[in-house]
Amino acid sequence: MPPETSVEAHHFQALGTNCSLFGVGVSRSRLLQGEFWVHRLGERLTRFSPDSELSRFNASAGRWVDVSPELEALLRESLRACETSGGLVNVAVLASMQAIGYTRPLAEGRPTTTVAVARPLPPLPQVLEVRPGAGRLKPGAGIDLGGIAKGWMADRLLEELGSNALANLGGDLSAGGPGPAGAGWPVGLGGVTVLLRNQGAATSSVRRRRWGELHHLIDPRTGQPANTGLAEVSVVASTGLEAEVVAKTALLVGPDLAPVYCAAHALAWWLSP
Amino acid sequence: MRTVVLRAGATVLTLATTLLSAAYVTAHLKNPAAPLQPTVVKASTGSPATGPGGVKLGPSVQPGSGQPVTSTYAS
Repeated sequence: MPPETSVEAHHFQALGTNCSLFGVGVSRSRLLQGEFWVHRLGERLTRFSPDSELSRFNASAGRWVDVSPELEALLRESLRACETSGGLVNVAVLASMQAIGYTRPLAEGRPTTTVAVARPLPPLPQVLEVRPGAGRLKPGAGIDLGGIAKGWMADRLLEELGSNALANLGGDLSAGGPGPAGAGWPVGLGGVTVLLRNQGAATSSVRRRRWGELHHLIDPRTGQPANTGLAEVSVVASTGLEAEVVAKTALLVGPDLAPVYCAAHALAWWLSP
Repeated sequence: MRTVVLRAGATVLTLATTLLSAAYVTAHLKNPAAPLQPTVVKASTGSPATGPGGVKLGPSVQPGSGQPVTSTYAS
């Protein structure tokens, strides 16, 4: 095994969570540029700011509006995620989020709503259309990009940071290259260390962002917080975004189907009831 | 007389349609072994290894022995 090379690391707060960037042979200024990119794009994609690009897109439901290349890419990935998950990963959750009182970052105070009144989500392709440079939401629909954005951003960051780097945005991570010792990036998953090389990982859970009986992970079949018998799923897949989609889908299909689903779609996984 | 002809024609047409439909269906039987719905999951390429704590590891993910530099977690 080759000698371990030094890793440049940078930790910061963004997207309402902890973020970390690592690189071998990557300058600190490049990691700082990565942080700046995360902040800048995060401000455009948050649903909590009325002036963000996403909020303006949600507010323009019913008509075609111009969208940035980044938002267009994320909307297209959202449609793809909805398709590959059989509709279980659906970003058109804004109405449900509002119904359960999740209308501001939890750091600003926990929601006071204790009873969820929500309806099943419509299939995303029925409420979201995307064409080059523009998008349109059906009136009444709204989206929250959530983990889709984090996984996608981790993958994009990796492209910017070089051939041997790792980006972790609140648990959605993407690892490229041989890592510090040549065998892959050592990453914690389910309490053990796994070596990732040109792979991504993500965790979906109902244990965090929780208040009372409610939490942030919406089951599109009910429009209410998921209650499938699984509390947490961690997954390794080929990219950070794919890991995010697989982890959320596995959690939503529940403990009976999740092992089979993960065996077909994940490279490694951990299920917690 | 004309009514009788019309009734006979309708009867013949009905019988002919029924017989032709039966012949068509018989000649185009679906494969009884075909799945009733699209495949939901792909076949697994092999049994995953089970690591500590019940973590399942496919062949492209190796366990590490040292401390991780970071972790995937719920946020």
